Amino acid sequence: MQLDARTIDDFKADRKGITPPLPTILRLVPILLYCSIAVTVLLVSLFLVQYRMATQKRDGHLLQAKTLLGQKDASRNDRSALEIRIKKATDVKSWVAGSRQLQPLIMEITRSMAPKSTIMDLRLERDAASPAQLNLAPRLGPDTTNQLDTTLERMATQKYRVLSPEQQLGRGELAYRATLIRQEPDRQPEAPLPPAPKP
Amino acid sequence: MTGADIKSVLNFSAFRPEPDDPSAGWRRRFPSSRTVFFGLGRNSLSWRVVGRNGKPGDPEIVRADPKETLAQSAVNIREQTDEGWCSVSINTRYVISLETNLSRRPGSEELLKTNPRGVLGGRYERGKLYAVTHNPETNSSILLSCDEEQIRKVETMFREPGFRLGRLCCGSYVLLRHALSTTNTKTGEKPLSTFYVVCSEGAVCALVQDQDRWLELRSRTDVYDEDLTAIADLLAPFQSRLSPESGITLVCDEPIAGLAERLATVLPNRPIQDLSTPGLLVTLLMNN
Repeated sequence: MQLDARTIDDFKADRKGITPPLPTILRLVPILLYCSIAVTVLLVSLFLVQYRMATQKRDGHLLQAKTLLGQKDASRNDRSALEIRIKKATDVKSWVAGSRQLQPLIMEITRSMAPKSTIMDLRLERDAASPAQLNLAPRLGPDTTNQLDTTLERMATQKYRVLSPEQQLGRGELAYRATLIRQEPDRQPEAPLPPAPKP
Repeated sequence: MTGADIKSVLNFSAFRPEPDDPSAGWRRRFPSSRTVFFGLGRNSLSWRVVGRNGKPGDPEIVRADPKETLAQSAVNIREQTDEGWCSVSINTRYVISLETNLSRRPGSEELLKTNPRGVLGGRYERGKLYAVTHNPETNSSILLSCDEEQIRKVETMFREPGFRLGRLCCGSYVLLRHALSTTNTKTGEKPLSTFYVVCSEGAVCALVQDQDRWLELRSRTDVYDEDLTAIADLLAPFQSRLSPESGITLVCDEPIAGLAERLATVLPNRPIQDLSTPGLLVTLLMNN
């Protein structure tokens, strides 16, 4: 004999409308829903983390770009200043190169100065219209008369001829102005060409 | 589809049977809820709270008018449950009898609940609720009958203080079926001859099984409180009707100290198989 007594006889008044449980396979519906929500939350979290990292990276790049632009501007300013200095140096170099022919003259003027005399101002300009002429305008003091003569004599040793001299005597100083022309050394006259032979 | 339906799907409750669905087992209905199991006698009320882990708590019993006891203790007991769901085992005002030639047509056990007259025929009594267990080898059946009016009173008695009735059954009948199914498990072997003694909170049920046959059944309610003399007096007459090789199968809702020794005195020279374990009835009600 075999008896199965797994069920319990229930005398309770049954409620109408008791619905049976849904099939077990349908548990997949809420499980998939919860899984999709979890995946969504995970992806959104990852996106937010990536977005935050990308934002920080972009801010870093912007800051770096700003710094580099500042450095670029500073370099440009340095370069401009350097170019200005180069131009000045080039000008000085050009002036030094251009004034080389005048250096003996200037040396003579400087050496002509007596111990009690001073050069208060000296301008020596090449005339733009006729580059062969030099405009000389020194201001001398206080022993002016002898000093001017001495200076002109020393200048003459450098083979410069003085044209249109003007001088103006003031209180203890003498303003002098003249045009200097370098005396070229004498050229030898060219020999006449021999006559052509007759045929 | 309402919002409650969607909510029930999302919290998986739609995949569980409803709490008052009698066709489902207790654990499936309340997988992680605290519930309480009552035992209702004529002058006693016992209860045992089952925690969320499914472990029964300590039993409590009050020997007084159950209605007054319930009115006084309901708030305290209900606080120990999640939603007030309870199972009630009645141990009084029922009759278990041995019948023969009951209808065994397919579905007759279900029909017994809706149209008992169609199954019981002339044995049907108006205003009674029935449950039946057939002997698969003979034409005898064990029939449990209760007054429907009494059942409704019990329902009202527990619903008034706020309990929600998940199950209402007869403890002795459950224990008897458990004993029968535990001992009669194998086919083709020599059938068991034994004397079933079922005790459940004052109710006693005795069934004589001689091999495949159920010979005699006697059921009494409110037989004992703590003194076991009444049980001994009830069972003593069976000594002359038991076959010499018949043993004794004892099953109680809770182990009763000294009962086996008392049975050995009343029914001497018979091996006793004691199926009683602590919280047996509650365990059976939870697992089925």
